[in-house]
Amino acid sequence: MKVLLKVFEAVRPTFEQGKLKAFKPLYEAMENFFFAPSTTTTTAPHVRDPLDVKRLMSMVIIALLPSIAASFYFFGLRMVAMIIVSYAAGGAVEVIFAIVRKENINEGFLVTGMLFPLILPPALPLWMVGLGVAFGVFVGKELFGGTGRNLFNPALVGRCFLSLAYPKTMSASWLEPSRDLAGRLLQYVDASSVDALSSATPLALAKQGEFASLSHQLFGSVSGSAGETSAIAIILGGVFLLLTRVANWRTVVGILGSFALLGGVLHYAHPEKVGPVLWHLCAGGLLFGAFFMATDPVSSPISNAGKWCYGIMIGCVTVLIRGFTGYVEGVTFAILLGNIFAPILDEMVIAVRIRRLRSEG
Amino acid sequence: MSVLSWIEFEATEKRKGTVKLKGGYNVLLQGRPESTVRLMPEPSVLYLPLRSKRFAFSELSVKEGEYVNAGDILARDPDNFGVPLLAPRGGKVRLEKVPGHIVIEDAAKVQEHADMAEEELLHLEQEMGAGGIKRYKLVTLGAWEFFYDAYTGAVPDPLGTPQAIIVSIASLEPFVARGDAQLRNRLLNFTRGLEQLQSLLEYQPIYLVMPDVESEFVNLLRNHIRGYAWVKIVEIPLRYPHDHVAILARRLGLKRSNGPIWAVRTEGVLATDRALTLTKPCLIRIVSIGGIGVNSPAHLNVMPGYPIKMIKERYVFEPAARLINGGILTGEPLGAEALGLDTECRGLTVLPELEDREFLGFIRPGWDRSCYAGCFLSSLRVKFHERFTTGMRGEGRPCISCSFCEDVCPAGIMPHLIHKYLYRDLIEEVDMARVDLCVECGLCSFVCPSKIDLRQQFIDAKALIEQEKQELRKEQERQEKEREEQAATKSVEEKDA
Repeated sequence: MKVLLKVFEAVRPTFEQGKLKAFKPLYEAMENFFFAPSTTTTTAPHVRDPLDVKRLMSMVIIALLPSIAASFYFFGLRMVAMIIVSYAAGGAVEVIFAIVRKENINEGFLVTGMLFPLILPPALPLWMVGLGVAFGVFVGKELFGGTGRNLFNPALVGRCFLSLAYPKTMSASWLEPSRDLAGRLLQYVDASSVDALSSATPLALAKQGEFASLSHQLFGSVSGSAGETSAIAIILGGVFLLLTRVANWRTVVGILGSFALLGGVLHYAHPEKVGPVLWHLCAGGLLFGAFFMATDPVSSPISNAGKWCYGIMIGCVTVLIRGFTGYVEGVTFAILLGNIFAPILDEMVIAVRIRRLRSEG
Repeated sequence: MSVLSWIEFEATEKRKGTVKLKGGYNVLLQGRPESTVRLMPEPSVLYLPLRSKRFAFSELSVKEGEYVNAGDILARDPDNFGVPLLAPRGGKVRLEKVPGHIVIEDAAKVQEHADMAEEELLHLEQEMGAGGIKRYKLVTLGAWEFFYDAYTGAVPDPLGTPQAIIVSIASLEPFVARGDAQLRNRLLNFTRGLEQLQSLLEYQPIYLVMPDVESEFVNLLRNHIRGYAWVKIVEIPLRYPHDHVAILARRLGLKRSNGPIWAVRTEGVLATDRALTLTKPCLIRIVSIGGIGVNSPAHLNVMPGYPIKMIKERYVFEPAARLINGGILTGEPLGAEALGLDTECRGLTVLPELEDREFLGFIRPGWDRSCYAGCFLSSLRVKFHERFTTGMRGEGRPCISCSFCEDVCPAGIMPHLIHKYLYRDLIEEVDMARVDLCVECGLCSFVCPSKIDLRQQFIDAKALIEQEKQELRKEQERQEKEREEQAATKSVEEKDA
């Protein structure tokens, strides 16, 4: 590895002062990807925790592995293409902004680029994947100042954009999952193979009173967004995220708890509109949204009380959208709505805490 | 007592009884000093720094080439109630040999300076009373430098009366001298010191802070002070920085507005005993030497001005290492210009400099590194002492609002919020968010995955706010003075008219 380090050191002057000065962020991102930075502490504390943003983001990717594996299994090799397109298009926007701003390339994109294809219908045209992620990163993140300053979850902004801009394609790109033992691991299925296309997701069918079996939903062999179908895979990754403290349990418990509670009450009151709670918990993007989307630390409230309110709000709004509006799924809108409220929730909690701190000491 | 004030009294008592501590985290560094105290060879030359964290000994009392005895006053700090710098050994004073230091050559361990002259004491007693003379002794015999104001960390006014004294025998930062090592064979002196401290008070309590362990040592200490009704024992968990006196003062419900709160550590109580019981100066320090690259980390029996080189030669084998005056979380790096231990030194910590850049470090399982959030495989291991370096271990990034800093903050403030206010230059909001409650423990900077230097930012912000407040006070005073002058001239004019 010393050879590689020497190569980096040899080309460094070209990127620092030479002709390729504009591409310094790209060079630094590459160098620091392979080799830990050489910076040292100058003041106390003299030692630092080994966790950095890169590792933190990698943990999300690791937590996503079961869902990614499930999406490969059920929807085939097309997922590889979607992930590549997502990383390429979103990465390009990220790099361009870093170069223009003369700032470092942030690792936040590693997660957005992976999350985005997983929340899309699996047969969506690839150009739409690229357009969606580019829009999400540009409008959802870069316009606000980049990672750490964004108000909304960029992946959800991208998905929301696609749902509003191309509603027909979005609702006609569902794939019927493979029921073979080998899955679709060796198949590349897209919108051209008409027989594989599915007309509706379990949530859409449920509106007509047709409920998919719970075991299929747990396992993931139902139609739906690429990474959102397998409840077991999501829970597996989600619990990992909670144990490593990358995701905050308050948000997750707030969403799922309020969803179950309100869903249970409404199912009792309007069984024709709101289906059984357990079925709904495993349907659609609720689990994926609760574990991977709503827990994004940047776009969710920072205070613990704020996280509870935020979670409860998302859970309740999801139930209401699913049961009482024309939409079959409401997680995307609920989380985006939660994102809008996050700063206000924080503001309220912080105001109370500052008032309490006033008399301290 | 009215009902309301009775309820208030009850609430205060209740609060004092239960110490609720927030946050905290133990950074486990390799090379923890043993509790044995080792004698160091007698030095022939002492290098006494004229500056330390709190003191600047600018008022010299000796001349170049003068011979001094052990215990003689070499210099004083005029800004800190004349706290003296004492000669730890007799010898020849050199003032210009090393900049910023008083050098004592031909240092010899001779009988320390005789007790204070009886006549002088008698005179002082008549003038100051019994309480006053005790305070005078504490300052002159060098014990006062072990006293802190619990909230500000500054030197308290020796003539003031505190609302309480907090005595802490816990030292939880890696690595500073621990109370159990300093108290070895000196338990009696310690309890006598507590009695002496009590004699400075009227009815105010002394809070004795002990780590929450069922160790033989703590039991022994508890037995020793059984029956001291004025000593209230406060047990704290062994978690850094719950031994910090500002945190304890707040959690004990001691308000800053009710008067000063004195804080002393083990060595302060021992120095009080020596000064008040024996009327002898405190010249010896027990400091720790620990960290990575140290041969048998331990506690050392040394004196201020002890040559750092001699300690390094004997104990440090790591060639490229940072030597820190104090612990790894709050200590100051000792540069090549520092030749001797300063009077406030509590320990030396050795930390290797970062040399190798790890290949693909962020995706390694991480069996050998432990992290606050549990993002490495080592979370499956029993807690272990880690081999740290000075590496930053990541690149600086904008705050991602993970709130780890708030979780570990022992002061109950919101470091991420203050950081964001500072980023936007909202100084007034920073003040409202109570940056002044920050105890500078360094945990927020330690855990921050975005590698933001929160501690330093808060230190700078506190200084800035203090400066602005001072300027405001001066401006108000000036305006008041102007108004008074105007009123005076007006009344003179009216009289003349």
